[in-house]
Amino acid sequence: MSVLTTPAQPGQGRGLPPLPWRRMAWVTWRQHRLTVADVAAFLGAAALYLLIEGLPIRHAYAAVTACHPASSAVCQNLANNFNTGGYVSQAAIVGALLQVAAALVGAFAGAPVLARELETGTFRYAWTQGFGRRRWAAAKLVLLAIAVTAVAAAFSVMFSWYYQPFLAAGDQTPLGSTVFDLRGVAFAAWTLAAFAIGAVAGVLIRKVVPAMIATMAVWAGLAFATGAYLRQHYETPLVTGNPNVPGSAWVISQWWARGGKPASLPAINQVLRTVGVRASTPGQFHAQGPGLGNVNPVQYLVQHGFTQMTSYQPASRYWPFQFIEGGWLLALSLLLIAATVWLVRRRAA
Amino acid sequence: MTTLTTPAQPGQDTTPRPIPWSKLAWVSWRHYRIALLGAVVFLGVLAVYLLVMGLKIHSAYAATLSCHPANSSACSDVTSLFQNAYYITGEVSAALLLTVPVLVGVFAGAPILARELDTGTSRFAWTQGAGRTRWTLARLALPAVAVTAATAAFSQLFAWFYQPFFASGMDSRLAAQFFNLTGVDFAAWTLAAFAIGAAAGVLIRRAVPAMFASMAVWAGLMLATVLYLRRHYLAPLLGKGTGTASSNSGWVLSQWWTGPNGKPVPWHTLIGLIQGAPKGPTKQVGPNSFQTLVDPFKWLAQHGYTEWTSYQPASRYWPFQFIEGGWLLALSLLLIAVAVWLVRRRAA
Repeated sequence: MSVLTTPAQPGQGRGLPPLPWRRMAWVTWRQHRLTVADVAAFLGAAALYLLIEGLPIRHAYAAVTACHPASSAVCQNLANNFNTGGYVSQAAIVGALLQVAAALVGAFAGAPVLARELETGTFRYAWTQGFGRRRWAAAKLVLLAIAVTAVAAAFSVMFSWYYQPFLAAGDQTPLGSTVFDLRGVAFAAWTLAAFAIGAVAGVLIRKVVPAMIATMAVWAGLAFATGAYLRQHYETPLVTGNPNVPGSAWVISQWWARGGKPASLPAINQVLRTVGVRASTPGQFHAQGPGLGNVNPVQYLVQHGFTQMTSYQPASRYWPFQFIEGGWLLALSLLLIAATVWLVRRRAA
Repeated sequence: MTTLTTPAQPGQDTTPRPIPWSKLAWVSWRHYRIALLGAVVFLGVLAVYLLVMGLKIHSAYAATLSCHPANSSACSDVTSLFQNAYYITGEVSAALLLTVPVLVGVFAGAPILARELDTGTSRFAWTQGAGRTRWTLARLALPAVAVTAATAAFSQLFAWFYQPFFASGMDSRLAAQFFNLTGVDFAAWTLAAFAIGAAAGVLIRRAVPAMFASMAVWAGLMLATVLYLRRHYLAPLLGKGTGTASSNSGWVLSQWWTGPNGKPVPWHTLIGLIQGAPKGPTKQVGPNSFQTLVDPFKWLAQHGYTEWTSYQPASRYWPFQFIEGGWLLALSLLLIAVAVWLVRRRAA
């Protein structure tokens, strides 16, 4: 950067104009291209794994849908095998393992951005380069946030493709905790939130590895609290006395009630024993022995004054929930990035 | 460190002696006590969760065991309630804990050498009376031992936590996710992650890229082991007929059917055959159909089709644990030796 000194012309502004944003974009790219490439490589490798594992699953599901007639015993057996077999448990493990992906991306991409410069002291040199502290921090964070979010969004499309047969079979709910935050806009939003948490941790802690650990810890706490407590209250759950809740609904709780008061499982089974059925949970009934009467156990209970109450969120609320969660995560991320930029000006050096 | 210069007495040995290992261990402890404390706190939080959840699971399982008579419907109620309440929690906890070895190992191992080489403080450290070899070994030994011991203890806690599901036959200890979390495997994989991190730290010499590379290498090694290597530790047994792998305590590697002529039969041919089999009566109860079927497997067996199962029996759990723990330990020691050698040769 060269500086020409010429006597100021009358009427000419005397302040030096700061460097244009596109220069800062170029500097950010040069400095962090390996970070972006690594995030893309990590999520790309995971996507490749999902592709390789997903193709046999789709073939198996195609066999289930191609089986005719669909209501025959053999085809129902085939569908049952698909819904309860090895593919489902493997997908559950994959879904659980991928929960850490957003936290890792946030820790590796977000925390070192500012923390490394603050730790090694190179910020003192960086701030002399004609671009103020806030613009420097804002440029780095916003550009990297956009890049990381875009890669995460692409990955969640791949995961949706992988998981689609299980949801199409109708037995799994798209609102389930290990599935919901890997699909739609939620994964990109959680990754952005992890990045923002990393940025703020970096500027507060000013050392790279502790900032990474703090990022992962805070993100894990937030994700757990959301999945376990917050998400079911985005909209008031529906409560129904209709026992036929679809398999794709997210059941929050179930209970039997008689006369307005909840009834216990042994009390229910006592009534059911006379028709040779037993209930293992309020929603599952099993034929008991060869003495099958022509009685629907649920109807029987209903006739005897019981009502099955289910509190649930229907699958149709999937996109509203995605946008609610994506919305507050986006707001939180913007707030944290703004806080980071403000903190850089106030704290560092 | 002070140095007294006094004239040497005749016959006195005046060669400078290196700093004793105890002092190096003390320096290493002072340097990494916060990191080790962090690792212990992390595992401690997880351990508290496993303890609280595990006590609930054990008492619920004890209720199913003490229920008499064992085959009555009331007791199967209790068993079903136990399974429905806790099985998913147990499985999801187990899946999440699979990430602990790589996180603890890499976060502990990679920054040790990488940061010293990156910031250049190693040059100062090497003037302090301990040569590079001793310095590297002392740096790596204490965190390695601490991390391995902590995760070994943690995996015993997990084995206790999951024991009801193993005992009731719902899960097999040889299944990939549970094999990794119990026995000596958990600690062995953590030590391997640590050693990979240390070697990567010396090669790459920057903390964050070394951590990323270590995680990638560890993940590749883990996938290769689980998918290809582990099943071949001992030659699998071949079982004939249905029911060989019906117990959930072994590890089924593959199953296939052969026809009356002894040749393998593909699955879609079998589906076609079963669809042609006679069906039993269907009973309609309200909106639910309770259907009875001719058992397709019995029908196939009667018509000359045999099911073959290639499997590893549950009794091979500890041999496999020691085989895997053994080669992982050897690999870790090799990688740490490589790290020491690299520090001697490369860094300056």
